[in-house]
Amino acid sequence: MGPDSIVSENPVGRSRSARGFVMRNRGWLFLVLFFVASLAVSLCVGRYRIGPAGVAQLIFSGLGLDGVMRAPAQETQLIFWNIRLPRIIMSFAVGCGISSAGAVFQALFRNPLAAPDILGVTAGACFGAAMAIMFFTHLTLAIQGSAFVFGVIAVSLAYLLASRSWDRSAAVLVISGIVVSAFFQAGLSILMYVANPYDQLAQIIFWIMGSFHVASWAKVQTTLPVVVAGTILLSVFSWRLNLMTQNEEEALSLGIDVFRWRMFYVVTSTLMVAISVAAVGTIAWIGLIIPHIARYLVGPDHRRLIPVTALLGGSFLMLMDTFARSVLASEIPISIITSIFGAPFLGYLVINSGSMGEKSELGN
Amino acid sequence: MSLVIENLSAGYGKVPVLKDINLHVEQGRICALMGRNGSGKTTLMRCINAILKPVQGRVSASGREIAGLRRIEIARMISVVPQSSHTAFPFSCLEMILMGSAARVKAWSAPGREELHKALQIMGEVGIQHLGTRPFNQLSGGEKQLVMLARALFQDAPIMLLDEPNAHLDFSNQHKMMGLMREVVKKRGVTALITLHDPNLTLYYCDQVLMIKNGRAIAEGPTSAVMKEQTLRQVLGENIQTDFTRGGLQVVTPRHRRGATGPTPKTKDKEADSCGATIVNGVVS
Repeated sequence: MGPDSIVSENPVGRSRSARGFVMRNRGWLFLVLFFVASLAVSLCVGRYRIGPAGVAQLIFSGLGLDGVMRAPAQETQLIFWNIRLPRIIMSFAVGCGISSAGAVFQALFRNPLAAPDILGVTAGACFGAAMAIMFFTHLTLAIQGSAFVFGVIAVSLAYLLASRSWDRSAAVLVISGIVVSAFFQAGLSILMYVANPYDQLAQIIFWIMGSFHVASWAKVQTTLPVVVAGTILLSVFSWRLNLMTQNEEEALSLGIDVFRWRMFYVVTSTLMVAISVAAVGTIAWIGLIIPHIARYLVGPDHRRLIPVTALLGGSFLMLMDTFARSVLASEIPISIITSIFGAPFLGYLVINSGSMGEKSELGN
Repeated sequence: MSLVIENLSAGYGKVPVLKDINLHVEQGRICALMGRNGSGKTTLMRCINAILKPVQGRVSASGREIAGLRRIEIARMISVVPQSSHTAFPFSCLEMILMGSAARVKAWSAPGREELHKALQIMGEVGIQHLGTRPFNQLSGGEKQLVMLARALFQDAPIMLLDEPNAHLDFSNQHKMMGLMREVVKKRGVTALITLHDPNLTLYYCDQVLMIKNGRAIAEGPTSAVMKEQTLRQVLGENIQTDFTRGGLQVVTPRHRRGATGPTPKTKDKEADSCGATIVNGVVS
């Protein structure tokens, strides 16, 4: 073909790519700064104030370097190591897990408005937690375990239901997810209806709204490994997600066994979400909004999108939780905070979707 | 790589769409697939690509049956240019084209520098090097079609299936697309199957034709033998006739134009038709 190219020449092609490169680097810089700032704020701020110097003292003495700075008070040490630090790690892990699962689900369902609970994991987990609150209160890990198991059961049911259809497209899976969610929500309503309104009902409602005040080293030990392993797996197999966003027939003819890979991505992200929600309750909006911001910062290529989403989601939820535990005299449920920040942001995205260089649309 | 279809029947659920299709395309040839809307052209493409399982019959490439192969193996043999394409996220054209390397790249890996150079080279061949960073969704239909063609070429499979590649192209781009296909077939020894609605493009660019009507093959063979007025009328509709340009090229035009202004085309007599066909054989091949 050579000189008589089919479409008109565009001389700005090169400068555009250069600008894209700068934007990407700036995105990373912003991200790392945001993480460091969030971590610093989260470590210092709280109802029990520990200044930056105090945090430095704590870290030095924690590392066994007692000589460098004066050892902090016993009370400060106890609060920092046993309450604040596990809570910060927990909020980071949960934000990281739910956000990257959100990015994966948006890719799998080819819909920028998909959220990780689209296949019923959250509805299942809520039902499981309510069951445990009502019937197995005496067992220590009952709520967490039951929420996790029912979250996984819900997604499995959605998958099973979809597999009965001759149509193997992602749209059928979404409908199955809606059916399963509705079923578990009805179950939850029944449980709430029969629950003792003086203690059980309140406990169920608070669990559903989610909170990190239950964070402990034991919960970090169950949640963090799953989230870290899941995020690494998703990052390693991230380029394939680009192909999963293509129409099924196109992905198949490009050589991707769409159905098998979809299963892999759904299982990995469902485990991450289920373990997170089981530990701290539902966290609204994070899984929907963080991937959007990440896409704005580094573009739609999942090789960059997955790690950026994970880091951004973790930092954001860490900051939101600091807000939740320190703004009022009593703790605010985390979902309220994330909704207050998240919903208007989504509204902004919908209105300005053109300038984001993408079309947000419901359905495929 | 030759493409052979034997006794193929297929359908969706219990509705049969294709019955007893036979086709043999030798390596380095372009075969046109013609038929009216809903005649089963896209279904045939799906069967060849093993997206739809045939009820009966088999499709093989160089003697290997395609239905038994894994997706990645099929992708190494067959590439597809779809009818239309949309992506939910603002991927750049380069990112879209790079997806064509999935069958070569390891599952945990991604296309590297070498693949990138190859992709850029193919973009140059197709004439879309300036589209690299543009978001795919903001392109015109014709530009999108060219990006999809570049992706299929980048996939580097010996058999190419093109489903109405000219659907969104303007007149001159239609000819450029087809000319490009001829070049690719010659240079790489690719075997191509193209669905076309314009019989004139078939006459100009294709070596052989398969005509489908209601899921059955009406005619199959070399272009000059198949593109007879009677066959065209039977498959594409009554309002059709063949004629010749002053340069001696065979063309297909409507027989009568209802409500049209300007000169109405004259209907030719039978002798002229048969006499013309022999001339065309010499010109087209």
